[in-house]
Amino acid sequence: MIHKLTKTTALIGLALGASLAQADTGKLLLTGGVSTIAGSAGGGLSPWAVIGSNATEGEVGLSAYASRANTQDYSLNSYGLAIGINDRVELSVAQQDFDASPAVALNGIAPFGIAAGQHIQMDVLGVKVKVAGDAVLDSDSWMPQISVGLEYKSVRPGSLQSVFDFMGVKNNGTDFYVSATKLFLDKSFLINGTLRSTNANQGGLLGFGAGNTGTSSRSLVPEFAVAYLVNKKLAIGAEYRVMTNNLESVGSAAGLGNALHADDWKDIFIAWAPTKNVSLTLAYVDLGKVVPGVTGNRNQTGTYLSAQFAF
Amino acid sequence: MKKLLMSLLLACTSLICTSGMAQNMAPANDALYKAFGEKNGITLLMDDFVNRVIKDPRIGIHFKDTKPPMLKAKLTDQVCQLTGGPCTYDGADMKTAHSAMDINKGDFHALVENLQSAMEARGIPFIQQNQLLALLAPMHRDVITLH
Repeated sequence: MIHKLTKTTALIGLALGASLAQADTGKLLLTGGVSTIAGSAGGGLSPWAVIGSNATEGEVGLSAYASRANTQDYSLNSYGLAIGINDRVELSVAQQDFDASPAVALNGIAPFGIAAGQHIQMDVLGVKVKVAGDAVLDSDSWMPQISVGLEYKSVRPGSLQSVFDFMGVKNNGTDFYVSATKLFLDKSFLINGTLRSTNANQGGLLGFGAGNTGTSSRSLVPEFAVAYLVNKKLAIGAEYRVMTNNLESVGSAAGLGNALHADDWKDIFIAWAPTKNVSLTLAYVDLGKVVPGVTGNRNQTGTYLSAQFAF
Repeated sequence: MKKLLMSLLLACTSLICTSGMAQNMAPANDALYKAFGEKNGITLLMDDFVNRVIKDPRIGIHFKDTKPPMLKAKLTDQVCQLTGGPCTYDGADMKTAHSAMDINKGDFHALVENLQSAMEARGIPFIQQNQLLALLAPMHRDVITLH
């Protein structure tokens, strides 16, 4: 259902994009962030209070992105669209494709019937609404731009459904968040703080909640980003996203120790906007341990590359 | 964790509470004025800026009844004063000056973009460009008449 919805929204977005005159508003480059892996405008891992696309008040704009993250044992491809309306509302869709090949090792623990090279796919529908402030223009006060948002996620684990059932996780869930973004224009320095209410495991790629051990309740988790505008076209920065660790107790209860442990996500990034319509982001990501039971207890570090086109 | 959230909340609250305290960010010294090449540099910058704005198909229309030399002189005084220079801007306040015009946020952004281009053309370092923009950006409250 959501899969269809994502496709329909994507089609509407493309049609809209094709019929739009480019929103050539002169919005300061990179101050609108880039695309997160969940489709919303922000850093790479965490949404910001900014409204995506180049559109400002009285305009509708569109941005599209594709990204890939590679770590020791996994990879994540993601692509999606965001529509910015009136610099007030942002609607986004994203699809993630997670290569969960190492999970096949779980067949050695129980007859899960996991296929070799199994991928987990997830659709994300996002809505974000600006409620106060202007991150860029209110440069004489400390008042940040504040937005509230939600991300509805639906995950399709394929042959890993048996493992999802074993863990007692749901296949869909909704995150709610509030973000505050402030550009200290005279310092060329931007900070963002996001507080998320979520029961997603690894952002939802490993389902939602952990019903078998009663740890399926929501947690409030903070996320932070800083960025420095080196020049009009170049920004560098870092992100830190606190993650839930609900699955570890499921693993321990099943005698698997810390096999399902989750760590916080971090990255440092450089974003380059060669033109108003294009931005490229390169990051070094550290996702910590991601199901260490099937990856030799390794930390998952690696590269993240994202391209965004905005109108 | 709870502590972290608490301090986050406190930080947010104090952010909002102190938002009124940093209203006057005009520099106490004239470092920025000097960085822009003093009166002469600012005059040249505003000359180029106004020429760009008038030619900009997005916003040029707003200046059809404006006399460029007058606008350039007023803007030069205004920027000179804002950056800490020995000038006095005696033109209309921003609200009055723009009240009869239909200016939206996109127009304001376009104006900023032209100023950025003009500053770039004069070789003004990015950080100082942003220091001037930080002094001008709050004017969006008075300049933008259409929301």
